[in-house]
Amino acid sequence: MTNNASTKNVNEELLAAILDRLIPAIDDVPSAGNMGLTTEIVRLSGQQARFQGIFKNAMEIFESTNSEFVLLDSEAQVTAIRKFESNEPDLFSSLLTISYIVYYKDARVHKRIGWSGRTPQPEGNPMEPWDDSILETQREREPFWRKV
Amino acid sequence: MTIRNESSNETVDIVVIGAGASGGAATAWLAESGFKVKCLEQGYWQDSSKYASASEDYEFEMLTNWAPDPNVRQRAEDYPVNDSNSPVTPVMFNGVGGSTILWTAHTPRFHPSDFRVKTLDGVADDWPISYDELEEFYDLNDEVMGCSGINGDPANPPRSPRQMPPLPIGNDGKKLISGFEKLGWHWWPSDSYINSQRYGEGRDACNFCGHNHMGCYQRAKSSTDITYWPRALRSGATIETGARVRRIIIDDSGRATGADYIDSKGNEQHQKARAVIMAANGIGTPRLLLNSTSDSYPTGLANSSGLVGKNLMFHPFAMISGTFPEKMDTWQGPLGNIGLSQEFYETDKRRGFVRGYTYQFQRSLGPAWIANGGFRNPVPWGEGHHEELGKRLGSVMAMAVIGEDLPEEHNMVDLDPELTDSDGIPAPRLNYTLSKNSRDQLDHAIENAKKALKAAGAEDIFVDPMMRQSGWHLMGTARMGNDPEKSVVDKWGQSHDVDNLFVIDGSVFVTGAAVNPTPTIQALALRTADYIVEHRQDLKG
Repeated sequence: MTNNASTKNVNEELLAAILDRLIPAIDDVPSAGNMGLTTEIVRLSGQQARFQGIFKNAMEIFESTNSEFVLLDSEAQVTAIRKFESNEPDLFSSLLTISYIVYYKDARVHKRIGWSGRTPQPEGNPMEPWDDSILETQREREPFWRKV
Repeated sequence: MTIRNESSNETVDIVVIGAGASGGAATAWLAESGFKVKCLEQGYWQDSSKYASASEDYEFEMLTNWAPDPNVRQRAEDYPVNDSNSPVTPVMFNGVGGSTILWTAHTPRFHPSDFRVKTLDGVADDWPISYDELEEFYDLNDEVMGCSGINGDPANPPRSPRQMPPLPIGNDGKKLISGFEKLGWHWWPSDSYINSQRYGEGRDACNFCGHNHMGCYQRAKSSTDITYWPRALRSGATIETGARVRRIIIDDSGRATGADYIDSKGNEQHQKARAVIMAANGIGTPRLLLNSTSDSYPTGLANSSGLVGKNLMFHPFAMISGTFPEKMDTWQGPLGNIGLSQEFYETDKRRGFVRGYTYQFQRSLGPAWIANGGFRNPVPWGEGHHEELGKRLGSVMAMAVIGEDLPEEHNMVDLDPELTDSDGIPAPRLNYTLSKNSRDQLDHAIENAKKALKAAGAEDIFVDPMMRQSGWHLMGTARMGNDPEKSVVDKWGQSHDVDNLFVIDGSVFVTGAAVNPTPTIQALALRTADYIVEHRQDLKG
């Protein structure tokens, strides 16, 4: 399922410029386009053929209709992205999805939002054991299932 | 390469098509009773240590290679489903264990009233069996799968002791439940086929990673590959993976003689059998029956009623989520196994609809899942993104509405005239519309969910009036009944037309109730297997 060949020509400069508008800087974390995420976005999108195709298509169509995007000021860039989002909602969704996934994998982001950043397994999470007292009220209720 | 091989497979007593929830259960029971059983499964065994929850890229895997929608996942063993005429996308998994690999293992039972909807409410049809007839098989299935839960639920009949105590409620669960307590509404901890302590063969307790819907690394969530299948194989059953069935074959007398399939190397094969059991789910089974045409059965096998593929039922889900001001670490614990409410389960005609619904309480996951929407809309991009993400992370809880979807003949599975799987076998096509009764149920549920969330303290409530990707529960497409003109199989799951052909998956449901169906599917599968053991020894070689 992995094939990066068809996304290796993605315009990463353009992608970085889009990322800057999608996820702005906050606190000591720079805007997403200045975090060096584009290579990882291209790599990860290549992990499934279907998604890769959609992502590549999104980038190509965006570029074809916004050839001067990187030269625009930020307000005009936002307008261009909004227009693409409106005209190509499925393609835009794929672009936003992979952008969020890669951004929220980053250790700098984890530190800022207080997220552990580890994979769900094998460690799991701690939870308090079951406490039967929580059912006190419900146990007082008469059965109300419908008899047949 | 397509070499047909008719001699390599010896005749077995029973060939089972599909190794999921029902196929695993029936195969184990029959093999343990001395039947020679072979299962043909188009997918493969899964290695739990390689489930995506241990991958650095688990958030991407969840949306792609481990997505529940086969049209998105697109593995070689998946088949496409044309769902363009359905507002609900069917979701499933093809592999040993079937959709139990990716389910949430939320396992309520039908109510007694669910088997008598015609008598009680004047709609649809009664089942040819009762809750009481099925109860011993529910109990048996609980024992094998392992149920965490607790007795005493006033919304349900008394039942046998659960194998394990309930899963923890968590601070997030307590918060959501507080709304129901304030309103005086029912709730109860979920019955779940997830280990709250060690249970079964080599199966640990849940460690609350929150991602068992991508396959349970811990083997704490029950799936038939780690419950029924080890028993079945020890008893002599065999399974061939990567085996995609093309059609069921019949002889001149109209009896089933086995199945044609394509093996994992692309070779055409034929498996001879004295009986055939269909366990390929509520879409896969009618697809195969409709693909199995012959001179004797020109409209599809077992289809003299014309009802194969008809009466497709989902449980169309509405999802109502709320953002709470508190941080509750909502990613800790199984996603959908806190509890349920059946306050509005039974018919009350003053509400303007018949039958009712269940609320299944839901947690939420990590930052990328939250940013991409989870159970609600994506976090807006651009200015304001960080503030909104900060509000939602660890603070979103949701309620899934599972409403009873009544059977309608125009809701159906048939064969797409053009779409095929990778072996050229015609793919299923869905035609489905939501009935007014179902819509009214969902709307009623949405308003009450808002009340419960507000009572619990939620500040920002979001409603998805019908989730598209919610077709987990595939039911009704080879319904059971006593009348051969109005049903496909009898009360034992045996075809009215072909006495050595059985159906044991959700296809046989007469009505769908308002609960997750898998315990009922498995109980019915065990009941059919028991019938074969007790009354069809003629099928033994």
